[in-house]
Amino acid sequence: MSMDFFLTTMRQLLAGLPLTLNLGILSLFGGGCLALLLNLMRVTRTGNAVASGYVFLFRGSPLLIQIFMIYYGLATFGFVRHSFLWPFFREPYWCGLLALILNDAAYTSEILRGGLRAVPKGAVEAARVSGMTWPTVLRRVILPIAFRQALPAYSSEVISMLKATALVSTITLMEVTGLARALVSETWRAVEIFLCAAAIYLALSLIVTQATAWLERRLSPWQFEGNR
Amino acid sequence: MQPAISVKNLRKRFGDNEVLRGIDMAAQDGEVITLIGASGSGKSTLLRSIPFLEIPDSGSITVGDDHLAPTGGHLSRREEVVARRMRGHLGFVFQGFNLWPHRTVLENVIEAPIHVQKRPRAECIEEAVALLDKVGLSEKRDAWPAHLSGGQQQRVAIARALAQRPRAILFDEPTSALDPELVGEVLKVIRALAEDGRTMVIVTHEMGFAREVSSRTIFLNQGIIEEEGTPDQVFGNPVSDRCRAFVSGHFDRNR
Repeated sequence: MSMDFFLTTMRQLLAGLPLTLNLGILSLFGGGCLALLLNLMRVTRTGNAVASGYVFLFRGSPLLIQIFMIYYGLATFGFVRHSFLWPFFREPYWCGLLALILNDAAYTSEILRGGLRAVPKGAVEAARVSGMTWPTVLRRVILPIAFRQALPAYSSEVISMLKATALVSTITLMEVTGLARALVSETWRAVEIFLCAAAIYLALSLIVTQATAWLERRLSPWQFEGNR
Repeated sequence: MQPAISVKNLRKRFGDNEVLRGIDMAAQDGEVITLIGASGSGKSTLLRSIPFLEIPDSGSITVGDDHLAPTGGHLSRREEVVARRMRGHLGFVFQGFNLWPHRTVLENVIEAPIHVQKRPRAECIEEAVALLDKVGLSEKRDAWPAHLSGGQQQRVAIARALAQRPRAILFDEPTSALDPELVGEVLKVIRALAEDGRTMVIVTHEMGFAREVSSRTIFLNQGIIEEEGTPDQVFGNPVSDRCRAFVSGHFDRNR
């Protein structure tokens, strides 16, 4: 691969980076909120069943099929086409984003559930006995501890989601992988172009890894510092 | 003057096991009450019922001006509000310390004053520093709980309880989870609180300490108060056979 071709390709692929980041960040945000909701639901028996069913469905089926179901499947229903939501479901962007959010929520809710289970019972009792209301206990004690416990597993989910955005290229979205596919069909230089695309994802995952390592040290310094 | 804590006809069962079978107890301001008894006698459940960490099946609890008589083993939303107010007037020290691992020593102590009592931060910090000094840990204010010994963690927990400015402090076997060489430093702090005239209810297996520090000792057996009186009475000249057997067994073991 000539340096010239490499630079041109990179420049063309990086044009898709804003969309990749946009989809990645928004789906992590939306998925995170939904995951928190799914865990709060688990306090009641029916809520727990609904949350478990949700996780089973969206973790158990391929993301690619979820994307197709939302993009092609919803349009087959007349009531969707005639509803106020149609302007959204007509757009590949919103369909892709929705699929990513729903999928991410299933995984994130399981990661968060693990974190919540690791919160020491005694820490919660101490908070309750100090006179805190439940929302305060949640905000000041349960979630901060659960988040710290969940962080290592969550960093994998972040990387996984950034890579998963590649799948929306199948519904015409021109993020990094979408642009790479288009370039390949123009130039037939598949290996070089896909390697360039992979390099972009690798760089992103390196940033995420470094950032979470930094955050872990910042949030749980007692696990890293020695005794003072 | 009404008592700081008053418990009337308290009953609690876990499944088939009736743990508390009608307990009446009151702690006047300035009193130090020790609760002793074999494991399973109900003393921890009784202590945990006072701030409603266990919710009694029947009976009533009064802390200061607040009074609750829950039925059916749960609290209604309105009762929960009263229970929270009662908890705010009590400090609680757990067997396992239960410090918040993600907060430093100082942050543990100022948490409830700031986020429950809504007092100004600067004032809370000033008071917390004084309390840490009192339990001998002022140089550890920025340390993490995970870096402290059990005895130090328990002393922080005592400072945390004091920071709420409680009317009474409840201790649930405060030295049972400690290595033997660390028991003394915690008992010393509790002894100092007794000398300050703090109102305390202490569940303990440290009989020598109980005898020395309490103004009144209660011996629980199978969910009822079997013997009650001054420590000299309960330890020196108990009326009930079971109490005599329990007390002499303990002192023999320690000898």
